[in-house]
Amino acid sequence: MRHTVTHLGPKAAKGKLFPRVRGRRPASNDTRTSRATFWHSLRAEWIKMRTMRSTLYVILGALAFSMGLAALSGSSAGGEYARLPPADQAAFDPLATSLRGYLVAQIAFGLLGGLVMTSEYGARTIVATLTSVPHRARVLGSKAAVLVGVALPVGVLVSLAGFLIGQASLSGAGAPHLALSDGAALRGVFGGGMYLALAGLFGLALGAVICSTTATVTTLFGVMLIVQAFAPALPGAVGDWVSKFWPPIAGGRIITAFRDPELLSPWAGLAVMAGCVAALLAAAFIVFRERDA
Amino acid sequence: MIEVRGLTKRYGEVLAVDDLTFAVRPGEVTGFLGPNGAGKSTTLRMILGLDAASSGTATVGGKPYPAQPAPLKAVGALLDPGAVLPGRTAYHHLLALAAGNGIPRNRVDEALAEVGLEKVARRRAGTYSLGMRQRLGIAAALLGEPPVLVFDEPLNGLDPEGIVWIRSLMRKMAADGRTVLMSSHLMSEMELTADHLIVIGRGKLIADTTMKDFIEAHSEREVLVRTPQAETLRPLLPGGAGVRAEDNHTLVVTGLEAAEIGALAAAGGVELHELSPRQVSLEKAFMNLTRDAVEYQAERETGR
Repeated sequence: MRHTVTHLGPKAAKGKLFPRVRGRRPASNDTRTSRATFWHSLRAEWIKMRTMRSTLYVILGALAFSMGLAALSGSSAGGEYARLPPADQAAFDPLATSLRGYLVAQIAFGLLGGLVMTSEYGARTIVATLTSVPHRARVLGSKAAVLVGVALPVGVLVSLAGFLIGQASLSGAGAPHLALSDGAALRGVFGGGMYLALAGLFGLALGAVICSTTATVTTLFGVMLIVQAFAPALPGAVGDWVSKFWPPIAGGRIITAFRDPELLSPWAGLAVMAGCVAALLAAAFIVFRERDA
Repeated sequence: MIEVRGLTKRYGEVLAVDDLTFAVRPGEVTGFLGPNGAGKSTTLRMILGLDAASSGTATVGGKPYPAQPAPLKAVGALLDPGAVLPGRTAYHHLLALAAGNGIPRNRVDEALAEVGLEKVARRRAGTYSLGMRQRLGIAAALLGEPPVLVFDEPLNGLDPEGIVWIRSLMRKMAADGRTVLMSSHLMSEMELTADHLIVIGRGKLIADTTMKDFIEAHSEREVLVRTPQAETLRPLLPGGAGVRAEDNHTLVVTGLEAAEIGALAAAGGVELHELSPRQVSLEKAFMNLTRDAVEYQAERETGR
């Protein structure tokens, strides 16, 4: 007889070997089943990602917004440049001016990441997903991998489009502008793409923890925009700390070319954001693993 | 083969499933019955590894569900038929599930054909009727051609044709030697489909027996007597028998065989127009058995 005192459920996924108690099997059925792996789950999540209609809408929205904002802020900032006092002219940052669209694009990417989880809870397909792949870590891991696979190239594309349009309109307005071959430009475009992919993972982790699309979007707005907007209004030390270390603000340093000694360097800032996302994802893995579906 | 041993689910103070032990055998359809809130769905969800048990085990083919090498090839489950992303086609919904278990693409088309959805497979699932979604859920369960099938309320939303289709599908699956476990509230359909019954109430096992034995054990056999001399017949029947008048000419007698009643009537010179043992339904037997559990449920809400 079997001696089982195991805890059934997600935690049993590690699998103890029980002697097989086999009943009559259907003659037609081949019982030698090949083992499903992470790669299978990765394929499943890729199919889901590309057949979720919001994926395309979110990507197109982020692209359109970042290009539009780059064109507008490029021409208006460019036009004002000549009238700026010399100190402000020295601090003028053509890179950040062209990539300002990331402020909204990060919400779109966070929403996309969130939807990867919350659409499953909203439509209750999470039940089908977890009966197909009961390994919770495998499900969340492959969702994260597919998300990065989509968000990173699209994020670079969004940054690149913003950069090219923004620099063109700065140049048209006769303001300082950068070429793609400048080191800061490449860092801004690729780093900006990485930041947007991190925003996607941030949304994924939030979605996995709170399950609701609405609550995820609200949280994204709060964390990524509202804190950013109110940071200057916060009192003294708190305001300084938030402006320097609040992960989305720190991460945003990656698209700046002007070095502000009060703030983190671009890569250090991005590392703060990455650390925050890593911690949140770790929490998401634990919650998702323990929670009843 | 599904084996459940000492399975328990506790939500805070409430025991939703209380030390359940049963086995579901291959080659027959096992009905899973219980009043609302008895713990049926929770039990099925624990068997499928969706909810963690507070204690006890559930295994399929000797292994806990999450330890199956390719779960869809071991167990096909229909739990929540509405659960499809509205913007995704039925084909892609199944394709993603199949991909997760390494099930080939052509099997998706086959499963869609098996449930009669091949013509609408490329339509968005949001446009599907309840019955079509139910069929899609069944296609998902059949994807891996599993030896074990678990269906939670598979008849919801189906038209009469669909109900007959499900019945023959289940019978065929069982005849192929598969293990089939299904829950349903439609007693008449359950009576036609299931060979074996597992009945739970308040999370506890109440009965684990064949359909025939269950009905016999949990119903008083009644005999319908139609006679113009009901008032004459009545005192002739022994005191231990239960007699209920349905109208002036019809008595329903319990505790006596039809032959005994006939003999007593003949001896007393009572004219009989009809004397027939009444077919007792699963529904009635089930009601008799679970009445207490249902009343308890009405008094205080327990679990889900």
